[in-house]
Amino acid sequence: MDINTLKTQIESEILQVNSTEELEAFRAKYLGRKGALAELTGMIPQLPVEQRSGLGQQVNALKNNLQALITERQNKLSGVSAQQNVLVNCDIGMPGIAQDLGRLHPITQIIEEINAVFVNMGFVVADGPEVETEFNNFTGLNIPLDHPSRDAFDTFYIKPLVRNSEIQATGDRRPATGGLLLRSHTSPVQVRAMKSRKPPLAVIVPGRVYRPDAVDASHLFMFHQIEGFMVDTNVTFSGLKGILETFAKEVFGEEIKMRFRPHFFPFTEPSAEVDISCIICKGKGCSVCGRKGWLEILGAGMIHPNVFKQVGYDPKKYSGFAFGMGIERIAMLKYGINDIRLFFENDLRFLKQF
Amino acid sequence: MKVTYNWLKDFVEIKLSPQALADKLTMAGLEVKAIEEKEGDFVFEIEITSNRPDWLSVVGIAREVAAITGKKLNVKSLALNFKNFKHRALNINQFNINIESPKDCPLYTAKILHNVKVGQSPAWLKNRLEMVGCRSINNIVDITNYVLFEQGQPLHAFDLDKLSSKEIIVRRAKQGEKLVTLDAAEKSLTKDILVIADKNNPVAIAGVMGGKDTEVTQDTKNILLEAAVFNPAVVRFGRQLLGLNSESSYRFERGVNTQAVEFASLRATRLMQDLSPAEYIGEKSSGRAGKNKKNIIFDALCVQEKLGIRVPNVQIKTILTHLGFSIKTKSKNALIIGVPGFRPDVNCAEDLIEEIARIYGYEKIKTTIPAVKPQAKFAGNRELVLLTKNILTGLGLNEAITYSLIDRELLSLYANTDAVAEVRNPLSKEQEILRPVIVPSLLRCVSYNLNQNQELVNIFEIAKVYLPAGGVINEELHLGIVLCGERNLLLEQGKLKDKMSLLHVKGILEELASRMGIEDVAFSWETPDTAGAFVNKQKIGIIGCLTQQVLGKLDIKHKDVFILEVSLDKLFNCVSLKKRFTPLPKFPGIIRDISFVVKSSISVKEIIDVIKIAGKPLLENVEVTDYYQGRQIPAGSRGLTISCFYRLLERTLTEEEINPVHTSAARLLTEKFGATLR
Repeated sequence: MDINTLKTQIESEILQVNSTEELEAFRAKYLGRKGALAELTGMIPQLPVEQRSGLGQQVNALKNNLQALITERQNKLSGVSAQQNVLVNCDIGMPGIAQDLGRLHPITQIIEEINAVFVNMGFVVADGPEVETEFNNFTGLNIPLDHPSRDAFDTFYIKPLVRNSEIQATGDRRPATGGLLLRSHTSPVQVRAMKSRKPPLAVIVPGRVYRPDAVDASHLFMFHQIEGFMVDTNVTFSGLKGILETFAKEVFGEEIKMRFRPHFFPFTEPSAEVDISCIICKGKGCSVCGRKGWLEILGAGMIHPNVFKQVGYDPKKYSGFAFGMGIERIAMLKYGINDIRLFFENDLRFLKQF
Repeated sequence: MKVTYNWLKDFVEIKLSPQALADKLTMAGLEVKAIEEKEGDFVFEIEITSNRPDWLSVVGIAREVAAITGKKLNVKSLALNFKNFKHRALNINQFNINIESPKDCPLYTAKILHNVKVGQSPAWLKNRLEMVGCRSINNIVDITNYVLFEQGQPLHAFDLDKLSSKEIIVRRAKQGEKLVTLDAAEKSLTKDILVIADKNNPVAIAGVMGGKDTEVTQDTKNILLEAAVFNPAVVRFGRQLLGLNSESSYRFERGVNTQAVEFASLRATRLMQDLSPAEYIGEKSSGRAGKNKKNIIFDALCVQEKLGIRVPNVQIKTILTHLGFSIKTKSKNALIIGVPGFRPDVNCAEDLIEEIARIYGYEKIKTTIPAVKPQAKFAGNRELVLLTKNILTGLGLNEAITYSLIDRELLSLYANTDAVAEVRNPLSKEQEILRPVIVPSLLRCVSYNLNQNQELVNIFEIAKVYLPAGGVINEELHLGIVLCGERNLLLEQGKLKDKMSLLHVKGILEELASRMGIEDVAFSWETPDTAGAFVNKQKIGIIGCLTQQVLGKLDIKHKDVFILEVSLDKLFNCVSLKKRFTPLPKFPGIIRDISFVVKSSISVKEIIDVIKIAGKPLLENVEVTDYYQGRQIPAGSRGLTISCFYRLLERTLTEEEINPVHTSAARLLTEKFGATLR
């Protein structure tokens, strides 16, 4: 390239340089090891001797000139704000660029929130199998097999398992196991935990439970519960009220009111159903609370002495309370969800709201 | 259970307004669901808990009102009516009652009334029945229903002349026997069903519903009034078997008070005499009313121990007396409490404490915060599950929760359904099988979300699966992931599409394992569509791509779906979360790239493994930094760029040291893999 053309090009190009990054690229382009000026210098030996010194001087002059231009530009650039150079072409209205994060299911979020409340109060979290025995699900919890109280705990039973070898050997379909079911509540873990440990105990148990209900906006055949219980030498109903009030205020807000209504559960005596003041209408009465101003959120009570007997605790020595709640119900109230089926449809437009 | 304000007033003085009374009842455990004003009265709809058969009667609820308001229950007015009540015992030859099993029917009484005049009930009777949701039939039937609601004792009137014998037999039905019940439907009976029969045929389902043939009609002259007690479990089972439900069965199932049978029967007889010129002939009964009175030795101090508040002994006694309990005081705090026959639910001190607390008022029990003593954690992988969930959401996946039960058809698209655990009593085919894998449930979510025009479906679920083995059902914690579609990235250079692929599921598992401190993760093809996933040489699950055939059945068109299903129990066994610091290198390293073209059939992993060995000890790391296929590359081959990173920990490497190593690595590519360097 002709040295004059190069000079013109440099002079116009330097004006387009608007950032130190661009200036470094500009410097490399012309002054770098393989830059334009180096290329010109490399051509000098091929020229006739009389032209060599002339071009050499011109190249040197251009080089000095270029250095000066770069320094001048450098000074200019360091004196201006970022917006005037780097961001000159950035439209702040464009969407930001970030790693896309997924979401935890709202049920998981509620469970973790509730767990945290109880763990902070000193409770520990336990887990148990979903396929249970009739003993753990019913008998151990003082639920007689032929009593109408069983109605409330309608249950999925599991077909007896048959081993292939047995079919071949005997030709009949003889059951290999019996009395197994899908737990209809998380309470069997109470039985398991008490059997495996001695008091003091303060435990919560989140998990899936199953009941053969027809599916509609408020019923499902699978849902989640959190069970909690505490056993020690001096646990009282008054303490149960205190623990649950702390829980309700943490989860639903400090202004929430709570009331305990007598109720019946086979595994607690005395028993209570627990309402909170409606979080929508603040207790005035609306469609969500059926104009009552109260929302039922959990069942609770003092652990029945028969349950203690079943697990080998002395009911004269120990007392305890237990409570249980439906997670979907809590989540629906807290987030204002009106159809329980949404939790299991897993519509991404739903999941991404939480 | 429905009851009216005025009906309650028959038995107890009420000064509270209907609304105030409803609130009091609710807070005492009789939850009033609704109050309806009707013809100058108020109908309360009350939810009765299953332990309180005595609340299934107006008298029972009136007793509660009396206890709450501190008034006296007044039932004497009814009893007084029975003075001068004339009747004579029936001759045994005239009538006989035969109970097959006292377990099924501990007490059966029959009263015979002649010359009844069946007709319309008076307005007050009709009115009260209709208020509580019972249709008026005729005066005789209405009276039996009235006493049922008032006293909680179900009664039944037979047309005496339509019984084929002067004998009532309480027995189990014979297999194949039939009976047309009052609802005009013919029922086939089995030996599980308890019936009332005459000499020839069943005439009623005991405790559930009478038979059509013997019902009381306009023409009925003589009646047999049944008042009995049947085994709750037998009534319940038979009722469920026949798909029937009645006010009678509802009460028998919960248990009626044998000691009150006679009273209710007399009450009905009296009303029949009052409302129709019935002539009471006499009665016959078999079995006996229980007389044993339960006593509970009660330490008044345990009220405070259980509730955490002091209720004065005087108040304890008042509450229990109002509720119908008798009290003998042994010493200051030792009481002997006699439990009335209508309270089968009260068996121990705790039951009495609840009675006291209920009437005293749960709301008056002040709250305290108990001290929770420190205790050891339970074993379990809760923390690891949460860590896993957080890693996966960090990788952009959304958590799904699907049902643990699945239909056979959906499962069979994906897995063998022979050795699965099954539900014995599913309501629908969606609840048939306890799933042995998670992915099929997630596929349904993919299909659903694609229908909502989602461009990217990237979801995971962590749940237990059920694996029957050797006669038990093992529960194993699984992770399922499905990826489908593409992620649109708007970057500085413009729009890029990140299309989901098998390498995406592979990458997720590698990242998860790496964050769990697991180094050895490997994959190897098992079928044309799936590869086994291995951790520390142990197989933990699979990754793969679904076939078009399966996708077609799920109505997923023109899309590829990539899946992962692994056992988290197995993965968690290999976890090593102990972290240890490695000192940062003091000397810089040198990066040298090699670009080459090689046959596509040669795995990148194979190439890298060879280079790694050849580069020892200067070569610290090798990774693929680019790959391409296109016009310049011959078919069946691909272009690769691998980046070799050379470094020594103790000093800076020189070009002279690296050159021969790098050259020989490049030569190895040509010699061993037939690569062409570019």
